Amino acid sequence: MNGEEVRALKSIRFDPSVLRAALLVGVGYYLAARLGFAFTLQPHPISTLWPPNALLMAALLLTPARAWWVLLSAALPAHLAAELQSGVPLAMVLGWFASNCSEALIGAGLVRAFVPAPLRLDSLRNAALFLLCGALAAPLASSFLDAAMVKLIGFGDSDYWTLVRTRASSNVLADLTVVPLVLTWATFRLERLRDAPPRRYVEVAAVFLGVLATSLVAFDLPLLDANAAPALFYAPLPFLLWAAVRLGPTGAASALALMVVVTIWGAVHGLGPFTGGAPQDTARDLQFFLISVAVPLLLLAVVLEERTRAEREAREQRLQLAHLSRVAMLGELSGGIAHELNQPLTAILANAQAAQHLLAAKRLGQEEMGEILRDIIAADQRASEVIRRLRALFKKGETQFQRLDANELVAEVLSITRGDLVMRGIETVTELAPAPPAIEGDRVQLEQVMLNLVLNACEAMSAGTPLGRRLTVRTQLLADGVQISFADRGPGFHPGEYEKMFTPFHTTKAQGLGLGLSISRSIIDAHGGRLWGTALPGRGATFFIVLPARPA
Amino acid sequence: MPSVAIVDDEEPIRKALRRLLRASGIEAESYASGQEFLDAIAERRPDCLVLDLHMSGMGGLEVLRSLQSVKHKVPTVIITAHDEPETREQCLAAGACAYLRKPLEDRLLLNAISAAVRTRAVPLKR
Repeated sequence: MNGEEVRALKSIRFDPSVLRAALLVGVGYYLAARLGFAFTLQPHPISTLWPPNALLMAALLLTPARAWWVLLSAALPAHLAAELQSGVPLAMVLGWFASNCSEALIGAGLVRAFVPAPLRLDSLRNAALFLLCGALAAPLASSFLDAAMVKLIGFGDSDYWTLVRTRASSNVLADLTVVPLVLTWATFRLERLRDAPPRRYVEVAAVFLGVLATSLVAFDLPLLDANAAPALFYAPLPFLLWAAVRLGPTGAASALALMVVVTIWGAVHGLGPFTGGAPQDTARDLQFFLISVAVPLLLLAVVLEERTRAEREAREQRLQLAHLSRVAMLGELSGGIAHELNQPLTAILANAQAAQHLLAAKRLGQEEMGEILRDIIAADQRASEVIRRLRALFKKGETQFQRLDANELVAEVLSITRGDLVMRGIETVTELAPAPPAIEGDRVQLEQVMLNLVLNACEAMSAGTPLGRRLTVRTQLLADGVQISFADRGPGFHPGEYEKMFTPFHTTKAQGLGLGLSISRSIIDAHGGRLWGTALPGRGATFFIVLPARPA
Repeated sequence: MPSVAIVDDEEPIRKALRRLLRASGIEAESYASGQEFLDAIAERRPDCLVLDLHMSGMGGLEVLRSLQSVKHKVPTVIITAHDEPETREQCLAAGACAYLRKPLEDRLLLNAISAAVRTRAVPLKR
């Protein structure tokens, strides 16, 4: 055996994560079995909810198939330790272990055949797969084996089909309760707890206290009239729905588990609306009720989670695309930026060298020195301002809506593009409405749109214009908003070109991605405004942004 | 003492260049636009012009061409904050003596000015 083989063997045997999982399964299986005994309605021999099999299934669903034998082996001593205390014959104890393992293996194996990775309850497909394979097919199939072994060994006097039905419904409920709980918590990121704001903790506490309180009232307290009981079944529903809607699959599974435990605990102690008849009838009614709550609740939580995730991804993609488009504009602006930085640098250098000359000639007076330093500082501040504006515009971040002044946005954008406009020999005329009403929006995104329109205008006039290059930027007051327009003296466009301009990746520029106008339009749409353009072919184009006023 | 006119549309740059030239023993006047300079040239013709290329309104190249067309030969040093090979060619073709990038190194500027002044001095001697 060479060194590599030894290492490979060691890595299988001593993979710490598998050993940890095995330890957890052993301890968990034992505790789950004790809980299962506690949930048995005496003298009915089958637990209302038998969680060890479900726990085993969840563990298998989370681990690679090559480690399954380790987990099943770890469950055996736990199974023996739990079952042999109850005085059941050894043959029956071993038979049950086989059927318990078979349920976990059938469920995990079927699911793994479709999803070749640890199962996450984060899509409708995965949830449906779990419900059909893990919570339905596996407990049903293993129940036949289980009942057959009970009859074969001759333990108890129930008939075969009763055994099948009671075992199946107990295990279906256990799978629905335990597997989602383990799967969601095993993949839960603890940072989410750390990053959550205090009101989130308050909300979570309210949900679980609500589930606990309503479940206690509905299923445990002997104080209520039996005739009122059916209506009370719905008491925990608002809190369960709250958990599903706001706390995701993890919250829904946890809230469900809480209600299941409280309900069964009540029934075991002879409390609640399900008691009063024969134990097997109580168990059956209880299981049917809890299963019919669990299935839609889990599906609802998963569907909402899936939708929330899709929305989040779409939002992130839009932000990334907008950022990409801004960065592409940076390329178009680079010449102008160099110009805008070189101007103050020129003033700084000339002032400093003037001071050197004066100093060398011993002609530098205190007063002149002070003035030179003031001028250097002013030029330096101007250069920092250029950089600050650029950094603000090209940073990557979440959308932040705030109250804004349209005139201020125009001034900011024209100061960023000043260098470009000057370099291209474009005269800029601004006609700003006095005191326009505030608009609400994301400063960076709105400046991005305006920047795009200014750069488009520059590009349109690059070939020269008969009337002289001029960009006219106006802000005008409308009845319920502010209109900002950018008029150039370029060649304009023909109606046929107009819609194409708003199509992604359509470009007439040498630089640029062709995303400008399409992203600009989606930004303005998201602000509840409108973006459009008009043109007189040969005389120029004007683009208009209208944004709704947001009075204080 | 040679006299130099500075045309730049930015006051801080005009002021700084004025200061630098005066500190170096050069008489310097400044103008905020090409038009302002062209209007003043009939009364006061400098020995050299330091001319910014990119200005809002009338650009440096336009000023240079008007100087050529009206036969007011003023040796001109072009200064620019945005250097492009083709504009350099255009400026030199339009009669500029020198083409300097901003920020301006004082030695380069002063050398360019004295070289420009010398080109003017030649025809005067003739």
